Amino acid sequence: MDFAYTQQEEQFRLELRTWLEENLPEGWLDGTFNMPEEQAAYGQFLRDWQRKLSEGNWAAIAWPKKHGGRDATLMEEIIYHQEMVRVQAPPAINYVGLHMVGPTLMQIGSPEQQEKYIAKILSGEEVWCQGYSEPNAGSDLAAVQTTAVKDGDKWIINGQKIWTSFAHFADRCFLVARTSKGEKKHHGITCFLLDMNQPGVEVRPIIQMDGEHDFNEVYLNDAVAYEADVIGNVDDGWRVTIALLMHERTGIGAQVFSLEQQFDALVELARSVTTDDEALIEQREVRKRLLDLYIKSRGSLLNYYRNLTKQLKVGHPGVEGSMDKLFVSEVTKELFSEAISLQGHQAITWKQDAIYGDSYWQKNYLYSFGQTIGGGTSEIQKNTIAERILGLPKDIGK
Amino acid sequence: MDFSLSQEQEMFRQYVRKYLQDVETTKIARDYIHGDINTVQQSLAGLNELGCTQLNIPEQYDGMGLGKLDLVPIFEELGAALVPGLHLETLALAAPMIEQFGSDEQKQTYLPSIASAEATFTIAWLEPGRSYKKQGIQLQAQHDAGSLLLQGVKTLVPDVELATHIIVPVRVNEQIALVIVESDTAGLTVSPLQSFDETRKLSQLQFDNVRVSTNQVIGQLDEGWAILNRGLLSFNAGLSSWLVGATERIVQMANEYAQIREQFGNPIGRFQAIKHRIVDMKLDLETARSLSYYANWTLETDAPDKVEAIVSARIFATQTFIRAAADNIQIHGGIGFTEEIDCHLYVKRSRFFENYLGDIDTYYDLAIDALGWTDVAAPTALPITP
Repeated sequence: MDFAYTQQEEQFRLELRTWLEENLPEGWLDGTFNMPEEQAAYGQFLRDWQRKLSEGNWAAIAWPKKHGGRDATLMEEIIYHQEMVRVQAPPAINYVGLHMVGPTLMQIGSPEQQEKYIAKILSGEEVWCQGYSEPNAGSDLAAVQTTAVKDGDKWIINGQKIWTSFAHFADRCFLVARTSKGEKKHHGITCFLLDMNQPGVEVRPIIQMDGEHDFNEVYLNDAVAYEADVIGNVDDGWRVTIALLMHERTGIGAQVFSLEQQFDALVELARSVTTDDEALIEQREVRKRLLDLYIKSRGSLLNYYRNLTKQLKVGHPGVEGSMDKLFVSEVTKELFSEAISLQGHQAITWKQDAIYGDSYWQKNYLYSFGQTIGGGTSEIQKNTIAERILGLPKDIGK
Repeated sequence: MDFSLSQEQEMFRQYVRKYLQDVETTKIARDYIHGDINTVQQSLAGLNELGCTQLNIPEQYDGMGLGKLDLVPIFEELGAALVPGLHLETLALAAPMIEQFGSDEQKQTYLPSIASAEATFTIAWLEPGRSYKKQGIQLQAQHDAGSLLLQGVKTLVPDVELATHIIVPVRVNEQIALVIVESDTAGLTVSPLQSFDETRKLSQLQFDNVRVSTNQVIGQLDEGWAILNRGLLSFNAGLSSWLVGATERIVQMANEYAQIREQFGNPIGRFQAIKHRIVDMKLDLETARSLSYYANWTLETDAPDKVEAIVSARIFATQTFIRAAADNIQIHGGIGFTEEIDCHLYVKRSRFFENYLGDIDTYYDLAIDALGWTDVAAPTALPITP
């Protein structure tokens, strides 16, 4: 057992940290910088940030050097997540492009597709969204109903996508559609690299329970894709669909490190909130509840490191990622729920009237409900763990 | 970054597992329930032959001089098979205390005989109606011509009939001292008590002017409480591994049963009500394992966060074991409720360990203190990121 970072890894951390301190917007680190609230300005701010990252070669470090990455090791990726969480860097507007579409293009895309898209993904010039979920295909993704019908050299696409993150900023969509009725429901699926800027694509916002707008509905009414926009083979898109999802799993580290940070903030909250001149942390019951969360957030981090070790040894991520995802999202939810409880009745204040931190706790509490749903619900993770780790029989219906 | 046991440690685990499978795992525990001490003694000899008792004894005292992490797989396997005996008390409590704080003479006397499995230690700490706290130790020791005379009662002492020696915290002039008493010393009366967990025997010990040489005191006369608390860090790190091993076996039992037991034309493990419960058990198990590995690592490297790490592991592994042992019965249904199936043995042991050598509630305070949360003014310590 050895938790030390190599000298090379420490050097990498220092280089990134220095770059961030020099390149984050002025006032970011001392908390005086405010991100624009208006959607278009916010989108532009995030695009600018990504362009800056890519200019410093910090946008997609795991990508090969020839595509503008750094060929980063897995440990360097971990350090990257740690440092980004440490400064609470702005979110990556092109998360889907950088961490899902880009790597999938490199793996499966044609040379022309790689040439056309990869550089623009990196620079943030083209933002991507992921057209997977539909009203009747959530966890059961293979039940997609959006159709693509061949018409000469075109594909005519009709249907509806939902929960599409960042579609309101997106230029392109990695879209899953049904091109034929297969023997099994995951047959006859095809993946498209769809242009979002066309009359057949309509994006409608979904306002979340926390008042934010991350997701959208995407309506496809005779949207057009061309042969060159098909990735992989026609009717054989299920493995492309899965290949993209396999790349998604690398985001767990950031959640684990955020949880550490959020836990520390919770302890600070317990120190600063007073009732009748007594700080919450002076109550033994509060300290005990904090310790339960401490143990679980430490457990989450240590589980992650144990699975990381395995990944370092075997060279690819394992199904244990499902356990990490399940645990970190459930504990995060528990943590914010506890933060609301601890504040007592004052917790029901909101926005500028929130007693603590501009309703940081309330917002994150509401947001945390999404974490056990997005990226595969907790129930789906449990099925995966049961079937693929424990070897229990497949669920009824499969 | 390498957060895993080494190949050698995993290999050693396989030897221990193979040996315990050969002696039919919980058969040792079941024999012990029926009063057969012989099987337990044989298993101790067998484990000694494998090297389990020598591992963390320094080489100069006939041991292998290995570290705390090397004990992890052994305790996990002992927990899995519910092997009766004083392995934790001897290897994870007595040995490290004697090695760290004992006199040269004590080391010469005890460490080689622990390595050869000739010496086994139990601990007589609790007194009737008293707690594990410092003020709970009231058994009096009076100076008398270079000796101490012990007078008082200790209770819930585990497996005295398997022990050659007893570690006894006593009160000398208002200080706590830690004394090693041979279990056949004159003046010591052992009265067996019925044990809820029959795989561990309990006794009450009456000390009537038991004479012990002052050479038998570990460390100085006023250092007993501090030494005991250091020893408990090691004990709890070992115990958390034991609990993880036991929980792993439970998850395995539940998983196997859910795959073979059919109802409504399906293995019950196909139903989410069952499979999700098993996943919850598995998730807690792996979290307990991560915490216990880390706890043992902090012990081995004397890391600054060792107290909170070890206590966290003990708390979580204890809670996990209790929950999983209970869920295992529910998953087994009616057959799980019977004496014939091993499920109940794990439930009983989970309660034996719940508040053993310090209750969980007190351990919460210990970790909270170590994290600096009782100091209201102090800023939160930066997380110690491994």
